[in-house]
Amino acid sequence: MADSGDRAREEFLSEAQEIVEGLGRDLLALDEGLRASRLDPSLINDVFRAVHTLKGLAGLFGATRMASLSHELEELLDKLRLGKVDLTAAVLDLLFRSVQLYGLILQAEKEGRDQVIPQVDELVRELHRNADGAAVASPTSSRYELDPSLLAVLTEYEEHRLRANIAQGLRLYRLRVQFQLATIDQALDELKAMAKPHGEIITYLPTGAGADADSIELDILMASAIPVDELRRALASGGVDLEEIPRRSSSGPSSLSQVELERSSPVYAPPPSGRVPSLAPPLHPDELIAGPKGELGTLRSVAQTVRVDIHKLDHLMNIVGELSIVRTSMARLVERLRAARIERDLAADVHRLQRTFERHLEAMQQGILEVRMVPLGQVFDKLARVVRQISREADKLVNLVITGAETEVDKLIVEELSDPLMHMMRNAIDHGIETRSEREAVGKPALGTIALNAFQKGNHVVIEIEDDGRGIDTTRLLEASVRRGVISPDDARSISRSEILTLIFIPGVSTKREVSETSGRGVGMDVVKTNISKLGGVIDVQSEAGIGTKMTVTLPITLAIISALVVMVEDRLFAIPLANVQEAVVLDPGAVRVIDGREVVTLRGSTLQLCRLARLFELESQATQPTTNGWPTSATSGAPGSVSNDARPAPRKTSTRQYVVVTAVGARRLGLVVGTLVGEQDVVIKALGPSLKGVRGFAGASELGDQRIALVIDAPSLVDELHAPGGERIRPLIASRGSHG
Amino acid sequence: MANLARRSGSPAGLRRARPQDRGPRTEYLAFVLAGDVYAAPVSFVREILKPPPLTPVPRAPHAIMGIVSVRGQLVTVVDLRRRLRLAEPVPTRRARILLAAASGGETLGLFVDEVLQVYRLSESEKEPAVAALGGDVAPYIEGIARPSLGSGLAAGGRRSVEGRTEQESHISVVILLDLRAVLGFS
Amino acid sequence: MVRILLVEDSTAMRTYVRSALEGAPELNDDLEIVEAASGFDALRLLPRAAYDLVITDINMPDINGLELVRFVRQSERHREIPLLIISTQSSDRDRDRGLALGANWFLAKPFTPEALRHAVTQSLSGRSSQPGDAAGGRF
Repeated sequence: MADSGDRAREEFLSEAQEIVEGLGRDLLALDEGLRASRLDPSLINDVFRAVHTLKGLAGLFGATRMASLSHELEELLDKLRLGKVDLTAAVLDLLFRSVQLYGLILQAEKEGRDQVIPQVDELVRELHRNADGAAVASPTSSRYELDPSLLAVLTEYEEHRLRANIAQGLRLYRLRVQFQLATIDQALDELKAMAKPHGEIITYLPTGAGADADSIELDILMASAIPVDELRRALASGGVDLEEIPRRSSSGPSSLSQVELERSSPVYAPPPSGRVPSLAPPLHPDELIAGPKGELGTLRSVAQTVRVDIHKLDHLMNIVGELSIVRTSMARLVERLRAARIERDLAADVHRLQRTFERHLEAMQQGILEVRMVPLGQVFDKLARVVRQISREADKLVNLVITGAETEVDKLIVEELSDPLMHMMRNAIDHGIETRSEREAVGKPALGTIALNAFQKGNHVVIEIEDDGRGIDTTRLLEASVRRGVISPDDARSISRSEILTLIFIPGVSTKREVSETSGRGVGMDVVKTNISKLGGVIDVQSEAGIGTKMTVTLPITLAIISALVVMVEDRLFAIPLANVQEAVVLDPGAVRVIDGREVVTLRGSTLQLCRLARLFELESQATQPTTNGWPTSATSGAPGSVSNDARPAPRKTSTRQYVVVTAVGARRLGLVVGTLVGEQDVVIKALGPSLKGVRGFAGASELGDQRIALVIDAPSLVDELHAPGGERIRPLIASRGSHG
Repeated sequence: MANLARRSGSPAGLRRARPQDRGPRTEYLAFVLAGDVYAAPVSFVREILKPPPLTPVPRAPHAIMGIVSVRGQLVTVVDLRRRLRLAEPVPTRRARILLAAASGGETLGLFVDEVLQVYRLSESEKEPAVAALGGDVAPYIEGIARPSLGSGLAAGGRRSVEGRTEQESHISVVILLDLRAVLGFS
Repeated sequence: MVRILLVEDSTAMRTYVRSALEGAPELNDDLEIVEAASGFDALRLLPRAAYDLVITDINMPDINGLELVRFVRQSERHREIPLLIISTQSSDRDRDRGLALGANWFLAKPFTPEALRHAVTQSLSGRSSQPGDAAGGRF
C-alpha cells in the first residue's frame, strides 16, 4: 500500500496545483466582472466547488493547513453563492490572497515542511470575520408545477439557484433532449453554449428512457427571462424538446403535484426494498434523434488529459532526434543505391519505403513536439495576479490587456519564463507607469495600460510587454553607464540612441536611486537577459520618453530540434538556425565598404554590417594545414582516425564566390560571410560541455550523420559581439579588445 | 576500443611477484607524449578510442583540439601534450583518445600519441616527484616509476601493442601524472 | 470476482479509493475497479459490464451523484446494484436524500481506508443504512 499511497499523494499535490491555478483564473474573471458590474453566479459556484474539493482532498491526505484554510474559505464562499454576503473588492482581495497562500502551502507540502505558516492563520481569522454577513431572506411561496422527482435530486446548491431565479421572476423551462452516449460530452457542450446567453441551466437529469442502450435522454431544467417561442427558436438546432413549467394558477388545482419551494423534506421511499416509487410519466412523446452509432470506447474510462512527466518527454525527444539522424543517413544511402546501377525495382522500392518512413517520422516528431507545448496562458494568469497586487501596493491604476494567451510554447520554456516576465512587469509598473497625478499632469488617462501580447512568428514565439508610461530616460542611463565604467566617454559620444537602450542589459547599470520594495531582490535586466538567452531567446527594448516602453522577447518554439541552414566556411561545416536567418545573398566584393572600422554592404536600401566568419573564427590561418578527418596530418605519415579516410590536402582558394547569410535578431541585423551554402536540414542541437563554456558564438553542436559535426552558430551572441559599442573593429590579425572581456 | 574498467587479472605467465614487493599495487596506463612515457592510474581512464573525426572549435582555449562524437555524445578533446607544454608531433596512426571524467561530471577526451601498456606498480617502484626531480615540479606530476620486469600488463590483449614483446618494450622510466590536477586547470 | 464502478471527478480521490481497496485482505483478491470521471462516463460504462457495486460522489458537475443514484434505481437492468455514496457533508440533507433515493450506504469525507473498506464490504453484502442512522464511517 505504501507505493500506491505515494502515488496517491503525488496525484493529490498535482491535482491541488491544477485546482489552485483554475481558481486563480476564475478569480481574475470575477474581478473583471466586478468592475463591469456583471457577476456570473456560475463562476462563484465554480470557485466554491474548487475550494470544496480542495478541502476534501486536504482532509484525506492530512494537509491540515490547507484543510483549515479551505474550511474558512468554503464558509465564506457558501455565503457568497447563496447571496448572504456581497462580493466586494475587499472580499475579492481576500480570495486572491488565499490563492497565493495555497501556493505557499502546496510548496511546503511538496518539500515536506510541516511548520505552521503564520500568514495562513492570519488569513483564516480575517476570513472568519468577513463571513458574518447578514442573512438574506429567502423567497417564499412561488409555486411552480415542478415534478417532485426533479426536485428530489437537486443538490443544495442547485436548489438555491432555482430559488434565486424564481425570486427574480424568471421562467422555468424543461428541455428534453436525447444524446448518443459516445458523443454526449461534446453535444452537451454545444447545447450549453447555445443556451447560456439566454439563461441559466440549473441541473441535468437523466430520465431513464432512451431509444436504445447507446443513447440517453436528459431533462434539463433551465431558467430564462425570454418567452417560450423565442427560446424555442434560439435552441432550434439543438434538437431540443422544450416546454415551459407553468406557474400554478390561483384558480384551480392542476394535474401535477404542486410543490412549495420552501425547505421541503425529501420524498421518502419505503425502506425495505430501497426502491423509489414510480413517478409521473414524461410529458411529451420522445423525439428520436438520428445520429451515427459511435463506438462506446473501452471499459476503463479516465479523464481526458494525461499528466506526463517531462523527463519522459525529453527521452522521447532524444529518440526522435536520433531517428532524425538515421533518416538523414538513410536518405544518403538511398541516393547511393540509386546511383549504383542495381535493380531498378529494388531501388524504387527502397526509395518508396524511405519516403513513408520520413513521413511517419515527421508526424511523430510533430506529435511529440505538440505534447510538450503548453499555452502561455499559464504564465499570463500568474502575471495578471501579480500586476493586480503590485499596482495596488504601488497605488497606481493599471489596466492589463492580454492577447495571445493561447500561443503555445515548450513546457520547459514556460516554466523558466515566469521569473523574467514577472520582473519586466514589475519594472513596467514601478518605473514605467507614472502615478495618477503625474499622468494627469501630462494629459494621460489616469488608468495606465500594460499590453501583454504573444504570437507565433515562424519558428519563434514573440512576447511583448508594452506600457504607456514615462519611457526610459536615456540621458540618465548614459550618465550612469559612463559613471560605472561600462562605456568610455568617447564611445558615449558616438553611441546611437538604440544602442543606449541596450545598456540596461549590462550588469550594474541602473538609474534607480533606490531599489523599490516590489522590485524584490534588485535583480536587474541583465539577469533577465541571461535567463532569456539560456532559453535560446533574445530580448529587445524600445522606448520613447513620455510615451512608453516596449520589451520584446523572442523565443524558439522548441529547444531540441531545429531547422538550420548548413554552410561551409573554409572547409568547415556550420549550422545557422533558420529562425535567425532572414535571407542569403551572393556577396559582391566590390560593394563592401568600410565605415567606422566595420565592413558593411547595402542591402535593399539599408546598411548591413558584415561579419566574415572565416576571419572571426581564425580559420584562414589554419586553412593551410593538411588534415585527415579533422586531425592534422603530414603528407608522409599515416593518418589517424578511422578507416574511412577523408584526407584532404591544404585547400587552395579556388572559386572566390562567397555568400552573405543575413541573420536578424529582433531589429538588429548581421550579415555572416560564408563560403558555400550546403542546404537546409533539421538538426538536433546538443550542448557543448562546460569546458567550452567561455567560447563565444556557438549555441551547441549538431551531428550531421557519418559522425560529422557542425557547430551551431549562436546568431544572437554574434550580433551582440559585433554590434556592441566599442566592440570588434576590423583590425586583421590583431586581437581586438572587445567590451566583453 | 578497450574498456579498462572491465579488466580482470593479468595473464598468468607474466606474474613474478617478489617477496618484498607484496603490498598494494596500483594499475597505471602508460602512454606516449612527445616521445616520453607517461602514465596515469587506470581508474581515471574510462575508455581508449581511436580518434573519431574531429571538429575544431574556433576561439576555444588553446589546449582544446575540438570535439568528437562518441556514440552520440559530444566529447571535448584536450591535447595533453599542449596542456603539459610539450612538443606536438603530428598525430600518427597510433594516436589515441583517453576518455576521462573531469570535474562536474563532464567526460573529456585526452589526446595521446600512443598507448602502451598497463603497469601494476607497487609503492617501491614509485618515487615521489620531489625526491626524484628536485624542488620545482609541476603539481600534476605525481612522481616517476621504474617498472620492473613483470609489472607490465599488455593493454588490450595478451600480445602487446603493435607486436612488440614485453621485453623489447620495457621502459625504464615512466612519469606518473596526477590527471585530476591536469584536468583541473580547465 | 468483484467489479466496482467508481464515479468521482477528482483524480486524487480516485487514486486514494483505489489504493485503499486494492490488496485489502477482507475484500476478494480478485477485485476490478473501473473508474469514471463524470456522471456521463458512468452512464457509458454501466451497460458494458456487470457491476457488483457502484461508488459515487455526490457533488459532480453536470449529472450529480443524486441523479445518478435515481437513474440507477429506476433502470431495469441496474436497479439492484448496491450503491455507496461518498461525499463531503455540509448538512444531513445530501445524505438523507441519497439514502431516500435508494443508495445503500453513505460515507462522509474525510474517511479512513478502514472505514471505506468496511462500507464496501457492508454494501456488497446487501446491507443498507437507514435515513437517520449515523452515517457509516464518520469519525
